[in-house]
Amino acid sequence: MPAVQETIDRVRKIDVDQYKYGFQTEIAMDKAPKGLSEDIIRFISAKKDEPSWMLEWRLEAYRRWLTLDEPKWARVHYPKIDFQDLYYYAAPKSTPGPTSLSDVDPELLKVYEKLGIPLREQEILAGVQKTDASELEEASDNVYKSGRVAVDAVFDSVSVVTTFKKELAQAGVIFCSISEAIREHPELVKKYLGSVVPTSDNFYATLNSAVFTDGSFVFVPKGVRCPMELSTYFRMNEKNTGQFERTLIIAEEGAYVSYLEGCTAPQRDENQLHAAVVELIALDDAEIKYSTVQNWYPGDAEGKGGIYNFVTKRGDCRGHRSKISWTQVETGSAITWKYPSCILRGDDSSGEFYSIAVSNGYQQVDSGTKMIHLGKNTSSRIISKGIAAGFSQNTYRGQVSAHRKATNARNFTNCDSLLIGDQCGAHTVPYMEAKNSTAQFEHEATTSKISDDQKFYVMQRGIPEEEAIALIVNGFVKDVIQQLPMEFAVEAQKLIGISLEGSVG
Amino acid sequence: MNMHTTPQRTLAETALIDAFGERLSLLPGDGAVMLKRDDAIEAIKGGLPTRRIESWHYTDLRRLLTSVPDFDPAAVAKAIAPIVEDSSVLPVLNGVSSAKLPDIEGVAVQRLSEKLTDGSIAPGLDPYGTDDAIGALNTAFVADGYFVDIADGAELEKPLELQNLQAGGQTHVRLAVRVGAGAKAVIVERQAGEGAALVSSVSQLVLGEGAEVTWLIVQEQPDTATHLAQFKAHLGKNSKLTLFVMNAGGKLVRQEVVVRTTGEGADFTLRGINLLAGDTHTDVTMVLDHGVPHTASTEVIRNVVTGKARGVFQGRINVHQYAQKTNAKMACNTLLLSDDGEFSTKPELEIFADDVVCGHGATVTEIDHSHLFYLMARGIDEKTARGLLVKAFVAEVIEELDDEAIVEALERRLDDWFLTHG
Repeated sequence: MPAVQETIDRVRKIDVDQYKYGFQTEIAMDKAPKGLSEDIIRFISAKKDEPSWMLEWRLEAYRRWLTLDEPKWARVHYPKIDFQDLYYYAAPKSTPGPTSLSDVDPELLKVYEKLGIPLREQEILAGVQKTDASELEEASDNVYKSGRVAVDAVFDSVSVVTTFKKELAQAGVIFCSISEAIREHPELVKKYLGSVVPTSDNFYATLNSAVFTDGSFVFVPKGVRCPMELSTYFRMNEKNTGQFERTLIIAEEGAYVSYLEGCTAPQRDENQLHAAVVELIALDDAEIKYSTVQNWYPGDAEGKGGIYNFVTKRGDCRGHRSKISWTQVETGSAITWKYPSCILRGDDSSGEFYSIAVSNGYQQVDSGTKMIHLGKNTSSRIISKGIAAGFSQNTYRGQVSAHRKATNARNFTNCDSLLIGDQCGAHTVPYMEAKNSTAQFEHEATTSKISDDQKFYVMQRGIPEEEAIALIVNGFVKDVIQQLPMEFAVEAQKLIGISLEGSVG
Repeated sequence: MNMHTTPQRTLAETALIDAFGERLSLLPGDGAVMLKRDDAIEAIKGGLPTRRIESWHYTDLRRLLTSVPDFDPAAVAKAIAPIVEDSSVLPVLNGVSSAKLPDIEGVAVQRLSEKLTDGSIAPGLDPYGTDDAIGALNTAFVADGYFVDIADGAELEKPLELQNLQAGGQTHVRLAVRVGAGAKAVIVERQAGEGAALVSSVSQLVLGEGAEVTWLIVQEQPDTATHLAQFKAHLGKNSKLTLFVMNAGGKLVRQEVVVRTTGEGADFTLRGINLLAGDTHTDVTMVLDHGVPHTASTEVIRNVVTGKARGVFQGRINVHQYAQKTNAKMACNTLLLSDDGEFSTKPELEIFADDVVCGHGATVTEIDHSHLFYLMARGIDEKTARGLLVKAFVAEVIEELDDEAIVEALERRLDDWFLTHG
C-alpha cells in the first residue's frame, strides 16, 4: 500500500528537532544551590517572604516526601531522576513589580514576543505604563477588542507579571501569583490550599507541596462571572531546574471562570522536570473551565532531552450543581504523566474531560482522567483522542467510579486512538467501578489507523492525499477542539499541525 | 500511598508454606518437576498478590484469602452427571484422577500424575509471568489431573467432560489437552464440589493447524469454596477456539484466561456469563496476545450482580508490532441489580501495530425501565418481568453457541441458578 508507506516515510523524516519555541534567553538568574533539603525549603520560603505557617506546611510535606517511593505504574520509561541534582529555585534577577513594567528586562519581553502568546499583551503591557488616563482607557479598550485575556506569566519559577489586575479587582476577582496570595490573602490560601490535593497525595504532589515556587491564584467571589478569560503562561528557561508551580482556583457560589494555561520550554539536551499541582474548587452552582495547551520541548529526534511533565491536577465539585471542565491539548514533553480529575461531591454536579494527546518522535504520554462520583445525580463525560506517530507511546488511563451513595451517577466515556506508523503504540486502560445499582456507565474505545475508505472518500473529491489526511485528523479531534476557547482553538490546531508535521502533511 | 512497608506473612501464606513442607514427600515428579515446585513456592513465599500488583488490582488475594483448609485425603467427592448426556467423562475426585481411562477413538488419555512422575510435563509448569500467583500455587502443589491428546484429524462425536470435583480441603489439578491438526472437539470443564475447599485448577490447551474446539467452563462451586483457576491456550494456524465461561458459584473466584494466537488466521471467541449472588467475589481476568498477523478475536462478557456480590472483569488485548490486520473486539455488559453489589471492569487495549481494528465497550447499568414497563403493561408482574429480562440478558450469549445440545444444557444450568437465587 504505497499511501501507507508514504505516511510512514514522512513520519520517519519528521523533524522533532525543529522545535518552534526552542530558544534560550540569557537572563541573569537568581538561583538556590542544587539539591533538596530542609534548608533549601527554608531558603525558598524566605525568598518569598512567606509566613511561618506556610514554611511549616512545606516542611511537613518534605518530611512526608522522604518516606515515599516514586510511582512506577504508568507506562512510561525514563532513567531514574536524581532529585539532588536539580535546582529548586530560579528567579530572573530583574523581577519587576507589576506596576513598573518599564523596568522589565527587554530580554524577557523578547521572550514573550517570540512566544507569540495571546500577547497582544506587547501592546497592553506597554499601555499599563502610561499615566494618561485617556490613553489607559484606550489601552483597555484594545483589551476588550482583542479578546480580553488576562495573563499571569510564570518564568521558570516566578510569576513575573499579572496583567489586567485592576479590571479584575473591580469585579472582585483576585488573580495573582500564589506567592502574592500567600502574603495578601492568607485566610483564603489557608482554607483551600491542599484541600483537593493534600500534601500526602502522591510522590510528585508531595514534592511540589514542599518546594513549589510559584503559580497562579484565582478567587472568584459569589455570583461573579469573571469578565475575561484568565491565562497563565509557563515557560522553563534555566538549565536543570525543576518547575514546580502550584495553581489554586476557587469559584464561590454561582461564580464562573475560564482559565487557560499554556506551556513551552526552550530546547535543551538534559531532561527538565516539571511537577505542578493544580487545585480547583467549585462551590454551589459554580463553574470552572480549565484549558491547557501543553507544548513543552519534547526532546530531539533521538529522544534526547525534553521535559518530564509529572502533573497532579484535580478539581473538587464541592457544591451542588457545580461543574468543572478540563480541556487539554498535549503535544509536547518527552514524558507526560497527567490525570486531571473531578471529584463530584455535590449533588447534581458534573465533570468533563476533553483531551487531545499527540505524540511523535520518542514521546511517551500516559494521561487520562478520574471521575469520582460521590453525590447524587452526578454526571461526567470523557472524550479522549490520542494520536500516536513516530516511535511514541500514547496511553489513555482513566477511572470512573460511583460510590454507594452516588445514586443516578452517569458517565459516558469515549476514547479513540489513531496510529500513524507501525513503530508507535496506543494503549487504553480504563477502570470502571460501580457500587450503586442506579449508576449508568458507558465506555467505548477504538484503535485504528486512518481507514482507506475515509481517505478514498475524501480524495475522490479531488483533495490531495496530505490534505485528506489532515482533514481526517482534524475531524478526529474536532469534538475536543470545539471545547477550547476561541484563541486557544486556533493555537491548538496549529500545534497539532506542527507536532505531526511530515506525518499528516 | 507508596509508603515503605515490611510485609508480615498472613495466616494463609503461612498455611500454604507449611502445607508445602508437609506435602512435599507425597507430591509426584522427577527432578525437573520438583525444581519447578521449589521455584513456585519461593514465589509464594514472596507474598500473595495485593492490589498493588496491577493484574490483581480488584482482587487483593492477600487480603481476601483469609484461611487455607488442610488437605483431606479421606474425603469422598460425589460424582455428578455430565451436562450433556452420553458425554465421555474424565473425573478428578478430590484431586485424584481415575485409574479407569475411557477408550475413545482418536483420543489418548493419560493420568497427569504419571506425566509428573516421568517429568514429561515439566516445561508446561512454568508460570506465565511474575504476577501469576495461580500458576505458581498450582505448580507447587499439583498432584494429578489428565493429559488428553486428540489425534490429527479426529472428530469427536460426543463432548468430552473433564470434571474437577472437590470434597473440602485442598485440591490442585491440571488438565492438559493437545488437539491435533484438523481435529474437532467439544470439551466441557466442570468445576464443582461440596466442601469449604481451596481449589487451584490450571487448564492448558494447544490447538494444532486448523483445529476447531469449543471449550466450556462451568463453575458451580458452593459459596464456601475458594476457586483459583487458569485457562491457557495457544492457537495454531487457522485454528478456531470458542471458549465459554460460566461462573455461578464460589466464595472467592478468580478465573484467568490467557490466550495467545501463534498462527496466522487463528480465531478466538470468548463468551462469558457471571451470575453473582450472596457475599462473594468473582474475578474474570483475560490476557489475549495477538502475536501474528491476520488473527481475530471477539469477547462478550455478561454479568448479573445481586446481593452483596462483587464482580470483576479485566480484559487486556495485546497486539504485537507484527500482528498487522488484527481484528479484536471486546464487550463487557453488567446488570447491577443491588445497591450492595459492585462491579469493576478494566478493559485494556495495548496496541503496537497500526493496521488494526480494535475496540472495546463496557457498560454498567440496571434494568431498563422502559423494557420493564413494556412487559408489565402486558400484565406480567414485576418480579417475573425482571426475571425474564435478566435471563434474556445472559441467555443471549448462550444462544450464540450454535449447538443445540450444549445450548440446552447450559440453559438448564442457568435455570438452576435462577431457581436458587430467584
